[in-house]
Amino acid sequence: MELFTGALFDFGISLVVAMCWGILFGTPSRALFAAGLLGGIGHSLRFLLLTAGLGLIASTMVASVTIGLLGIFSAHRIHHPPVVITLPASITMIPGLYAYRSMLGGIKLTNLENLDAHPGLLTGIAHNVMLTFSLLFTLAIGISISALLFRNKSVKEIRFNKSSILKNKAT
Amino acid sequence: MKNGPGSPEKIPANRLAEFILDAGVFLMSSGAHSGRVWRNCERMAARWNYHINISPTFTGILLSVWDKNNPDNAVTRYKASPPSSVHLEVLTRISHLSWKIAYGEISFNESVNELAEIRKKKHYSHWVIAGAVGFACGLLCILAGGDAPNAAVAFTAASTGYIIRFQILLKGFNNFLSLIVAAFVTSLIAGADTVLGLGKAPEMTLSTAVLYLVPGVPLVNSVIDLLEGYFPASLSRSLFAASVLLCIAVGMTLSILLLGISNF
Repeated sequence: MELFTGALFDFGISLVVAMCWGILFGTPSRALFAAGLLGGIGHSLRFLLLTAGLGLIASTMVASVTIGLLGIFSAHRIHHPPVVITLPASITMIPGLYAYRSMLGGIKLTNLENLDAHPGLLTGIAHNVMLTFSLLFTLAIGISISALLFRNKSVKEIRFNKSSILKNKAT
Repeated sequence: MKNGPGSPEKIPANRLAEFILDAGVFLMSSGAHSGRVWRNCERMAARWNYHINISPTFTGILLSVWDKNNPDNAVTRYKASPPSSVHLEVLTRISHLSWKIAYGEISFNESVNELAEIRKKKHYSHWVIAGAVGFACGLLCILAGGDAPNAAVAFTAASTGYIIRFQILLKGFNNFLSLIVAAFVTSLIAGADTVLGLGKAPEMTLSTAVLYLVPGVPLVNSVIDLLEGYFPASLSRSLFAASVLLCIAVGMTLSILLLGISNF
């Protein structure tokens, strides 16, 4: 039960966060809620996977690929390119904390006494930098999943079922 | 690429290249990755029976167009991109425009006019964005383990930083300067709860409040370009993103040193 409320809390907050990023990036107002929904689903999925004991990078990977696939589906529904909604949704998981920690480590590194006092500083920076880049890569893979998995270069040409084929023919 | 109804008009290569380049650099500076720029441009050019080839980079686009029926009707042109300002609605609008062109629903002159219309499309108001940015950073602070006082400080820090940044940009100062000042102001305010000992996770305030400055779109786009093989575009995007990150670091360093590094 605690897990459920935790995931719901995570979902609600990241929904609003993704919508706010959407506003910063100029996502059209009609697509804002979809962006929020995707951000909420992705982030709470990551929360659940992290709780289940999957590593940070693996959980982010699964979450961002989920966002990417749902993005293709909802792009057909709301008639916007998927990137308009998947980008703000994925930015909720941007590894800001690790980027910040590696930068703070870098600032501390300029002082040699500091380095002598905390020998773990350098390994800490290396760890945080690697984590930042790995997480960034997983986010990019999620957003470009349609280009990676499907042979059709444009998402508009990806078909799910017969009715959408008929609809596309009609237009 | 299938063509829509009706036979397409004859457009001189020069005019077509200009139109495609206008759309292309506009897409690029609004936050589209190179693959999307290429697809949109190709779709539009195919309607008027042109082949295209593009060398996209973040700072400009080099484009060749040549007539499918008359190879002598060809031109190669370059156009520099305007300064990057992420606006995803432009991606939607130009994508819709390109499909309308591909289905033959719209003439060349109408397309040029519609592109000019898209260019006039306004972003959200700066004050709305300032609020949104504050909410996003405050809520991320809660997600990262902060409590209400931490989130309130993060909200104030991020909104104030954003307002100061756009005021600086409105006055026409350098983009990187505006980032340094914004990062400085944001982290100065966000450092308040560390110094005063407010809330249960003051470290999180500082790390989440500057998140609105992180160049998420260029960073993600640079990796997408890398995956799709547009190496020059990927390289220039990551350079841009890295310099933005450097500016944030400089601004934060100034305020952290001012507040006392031993506090962090």
